[in-house]
Parts: sequence; C-alpha cells; structure tokens
Amino acid sequence: MSAISRIWKSAPASRVPALLWLVGTVVAAIVPLLATTYTNSQLSLVAAFAVAILGLNLVTGYAGQVSLGHSAFLGLGAYSAAIATAAGWPALAAFAAACAVPSAIGLLVALPALRLGGHSLAMVTLALPVVAVPLAKRLSTLTGGSTGISASPLHAPAWTGLAPDQWTFYVLALLAAVMFFLAGNLTRGRLGRALSLIRVNETVAASVGVPVYEYKVQAFVCAALFGGVAGFMYVCAIGFMSPESLNLLISLNLLIAMVVGGMRSLLGSLLGGAFYVFLPELVSFAGTTRSGVVNIATGASVLLVVFLARGGASSIVARAWGQIQARTRTQRF
Amino acid sequence: MLALQQILGGLATGAIYATLALALVLINRATRVVNFAQGQMAVLSTYFAWALVQTGLPTAAAVALAIVLAIPLGALIERFVIRRVAKEAPLVVIVVTIGLLILLNGVAGFVWSQEIKPFPSLFPTGVAQVGGIAMSFESLGIVAVLVALVIALQLLFFRTRLGLAMRAVADNPESSALSGLHVNLLLMTGWGLAAAVGALAGCLVAPKVYLDPNMMNQVLVYALIAVIVGGLESPLGVVIAAGMIGVVENLAGTYVDFIGNDLQIAVPLLLMCAVLMWRPQGLFGRAEKARV
Repeated sequence: MSAISRIWKSAPASRVPALLWLVGTVVAAIVPLLATTYTNSQLSLVAAFAVAILGLNLVTGYAGQVSLGHSAFLGLGAYSAAIATAAGWPALAAFAAACAVPSAIGLLVALPALRLGGHSLAMVTLALPVVAVPLAKRLSTLTGGSTGISASPLHAPAWTGLAPDQWTFYVLALLAAVMFFLAGNLTRGRLGRALSLIRVNETVAASVGVPVYEYKVQAFVCAALFGGVAGFMYVCAIGFMSPESLNLLISLNLLIAMVVGGMRSLLGSLLGGAFYVFLPELVSFAGTTRSGVVNIATGASVLLVVFLARGGASSIVARAWGQIQARTRTQRF
Repeated sequence: MLALQQILGGLATGAIYATLALALVLINRATRVVNFAQGQMAVLSTYFAWALVQTGLPTAAAVALAIVLAIPLGALIERFVIRRVAKEAPLVVIVVTIGLLILLNGVAGFVWSQEIKPFPSLFPTGVAQVGGIAMSFESLGIVAVLVALVIALQLLFFRTRLGLAMRAVADNPESSALSGLHVNLLLMTGWGLAAAVGALAGCLVAPKVYLDPNMMNQVLVYALIAVIVGGLESPLGVVIAAGMIGVVENLAGTYVDFIGNDLQIAVPLLLMCAVLMWRPQGLFGRAEKARV
C-alpha cells in the first residue's frame, strides 16, 4: 500500500527548476532574430511536435493507455485549420476548429475504445491513421486529395517588423508554452495523480474511488485536443497539409520520440519534439544521404533508451542537473 | 458467378494475411507478446531470398533457405531484445517491438535501398478454369501452402514432444522449468518458428506487391486484425478470420460504391472494432480471467 499512497500523495514534480525554463525563454526570444528562415521553420516544427508528444504523454505516458493513432488527431487538427483558413476564416477561428474537431472525434473514439486496455486499445487506435489516409484522399473536394492543401493561418502584423517565419515561431512558441502550462497543471493536479494510479494498478484505483473509465476517457480526449492544437501549429509552420502527414508511421515515430525524450515529463516532451525534428537533420548533417539511416538511428535510439535509460533524455538532464546542484552545494560549505 | 470469383479471390488474399497472423499467434503463444515487428522481420527474410535468387539459385530453394535462415534471426531477437522486457507492461513491449520495426525497416532500406524489386513467384503462371470460375495457379498455390502450414503446425504442437514442451512453457513457464524443460531455449524456438512462418508470408506476398522495405506494413495491419478477430490463442480461429477478412473486403470493395479499392481496409477494421466490443477475446479465443 505504501507505493500506492506515495503515488497518490506526491505530485510528479518537475525536477528541472525554473532557472532552466527562464534560460530557455530568453534563448527562444533571441534565436529567431539571428537564425535563417529554414532554421526558424524547423524550430516552429519542434514546438508543434512537442505539443503533439505532450498530448500523447497524457494518455500513454501518464495513463498508460497505448495510443497508436495520435497522427490521426494531429492530421484532423491540421486539416481543420487548413480548410478553415482556405475558406477565409481568421486564425483564431481556424484554431478553434482545430481544437473542436479532433476533440469531438476523440470523444467518439474514446467512449467505446477505452473499455479495452493494453494491446487491444493499441489495435483500435492503430485503425485511425490506417483509415484516415485513404479517407483524406477520397474527400478531395475538402482536402485537396493526394496533392494536399496549402494554407497559412498566421500573418505577421506590419507594426512588428518581423518576417513571417519569425512571427510564426513567436506565436507557436507562446502557444506551446500555454499548452505546456496547461499540461503541467493537469498532470500535477487531481487528474494527473489519478491517471498515474490507473497506470500502476487499475483495480486499486477503482477501489480508492477513482472513476477509472471516466478519467481514461478524459485523458484520451485531452490527448486528442493537444494533437489538434499541434496540427494547427503544424500547418502554421509548414503552410501545407497532405494525407502522408497522417501516416501510421508518424504515430509510431511520435511514440518513439515520446519515449526517447522521456515519458511523463514536460521537458521530455520538448526534447522528444526536438528529437523528432532534428534527428533527420542530424543524419544528413553527418553526411549520409543513404536511405534507411534515419530509421536505423530512430529504432536504435528507442531500444537503447528502453534498455539503458528508461526515463529518456529528460531523466539524463535531470540527473546531470542534480549532480551540478550537489557539487555547488558542497563547494558552499 | 462474379461473386463466387470475388469470394475465391478474397480467400487467396486472406491466406497471405493468415500466414503472417499465424506467426503472430506463435509468438503470442510463446511469450505473450504482440510482435509489431513481425512483418518487418519477414521483409528482411524476403530480401535474403531475393539475394539468393540473384546468385542463380532456383526460387524454391532460395525461399526454403531464407525460411531456414529466419529461425536464428527470430531466436536472436527473442534472446537479446524481447527477453529483457517480456514481463513488463504492454506499453514497454509495444514500444520495443515498434522500435524494432523501425530499426529493421531502416536496415532493409540501407542494404537494399527503397527501390522496388520484382520477386519471382513460387508458382507457375496461368489460370485454372473450373466451371466458369478462373483461379490463377498462384492463388491456388498460396491456399495450398496455407493448408499445409496449418496441418504441419497442428502436427507439431499436438503430435511431437517439442510441440508438447512448447505448449507447456506457454501455459506455465515456472512449472515447466521445474519439470526440467529448457524454458529459454523453447522461447527462442517459438520465436524462430514464428520468424520462419513470417518469412514464408513475405515470400508469398512479394510477387504480388513487389519487394520494398515497406512491403509488409499493410499486410501486418491485416494480420493484426485477423489476430484480434480470431483470438490470440487460436491458430484455426485466426486462419478463419483472415479468410473472412479477405472475402468481406473483396466483396465490399467490389459491390459498395463508396468503399471501392482504396477504402477497402476500413471494412475489416470496422469488423475488428465490432468484435472487440462484443467479444474482446476474439471470436474463437478464450476469455482470460485476471486475478487481483
């Protein structure tokens, strides 16, 4: 019982202190002014995928319910935003659509699917992207079919004097910060503690009065919402959406990036987003253009993390930070 | 007549799904793991077969050799990857097999490139005409191979000491170890066997879809559906389910206008969701009772 009460009482506190976040904010404010357009769009993508992975973390990391369909929610959000923008809606309305549609579909899927657990849930959610790709191609009047749809919801106001890529990055970074703040509150609060307990032992969770099914559904819908927001951000960053961005392989890669970055950690989600976007860059930077190298690196990374550093990159950062702190403390004496 | 033709065509496609699904069942029987990397392991074996054919070996011999070579591949993956996580939460195991999927996909792309390659069929070209229904020799051959495979597996599991030992280990590893069975060796055998069956599936599907690193992704989805619909423990149930999926999908694709060729895959997926809601253990599976 002691292990359970520990989970119940202790909030999964963020181990990386405010100073690091402050440094991050300053860097995020300065870098876009100096970097190239390409780098800025890559950084915007990191923000988008970090939010996507954050959503996946809510349902898979915290609640332990494996979702292989996250790319479908990302895609739903992206298509909603792109279609709304192409129809002349303002950015805020497009954003609202990108939140509402995935959440609604997420709820529809969650209500029956979360009666299942483990491998069965993985299978049902796997169905989402597998169906979504041909469906998006079929509904071509809406989605532009295989060629995709172009739309850029964000436009830099003239008074800022910023280039489009810089403005987009600032807006997306701010949006990501808000989403991270929300997720932090969610996971530190009642829902997060309940989800951790559900992950560790559903029967015990039910026996101490946690409404297991309702909370799982809530987590799944939150994940879908975060996925939708990430989809909106994706369209802002890329200006384009096509059926290939719904692919099942993207779901699998998001899951891998979540584990590599560090499960159940805000910092881990951010690092996961960076891993997702920068690994292909890193591989081509290393001079290999040969096909397969990115996948080899991705697969090898996740196996290494599972076998050697279960907490992922964020746990390594946290441990390093702890050591630095310990060292400064001994110096003080 | 067209309907009958479509049904038979569906059965032939279903037979390929069934072969890979049988590999998934073998793995699940051995280690209680759903192996998302099964298709990708099969792709690797199919590339071995292709490479052997390039050296001038006859197709049948090359495929046979690739199937034999798949056994150590599967055994090594069990020993060095799966065994470390097999007893952990489903999430960990799923992440590991998905990591393996991506890794092996990368290896295939690295060694043999993304370029699609023609793969020779094991069966002669041509069509058998029986009372107005045409079946290609290839389709007939695939169904025959599946039937032979099911019989061979049934004989192995129910008529040999090795099969008995493997069933014992799947049922209760601790007791099996106490009665002197080599549990670890038997787990490796189970994975090796599954990899061999998967290799067969790869070599059957490659002539139809051409060989490339992503060749089995679609087949894997179908095989997973068959496994869920048929029941993870039931080889026969899985084969029936796979046949059903092939037929239903073919009929829906032909006769329901909205579905057509591209949305065919939605039909078995809906079927799977219905089965999961109504009988989560699968049509032919046993319900598992968990002890609190």
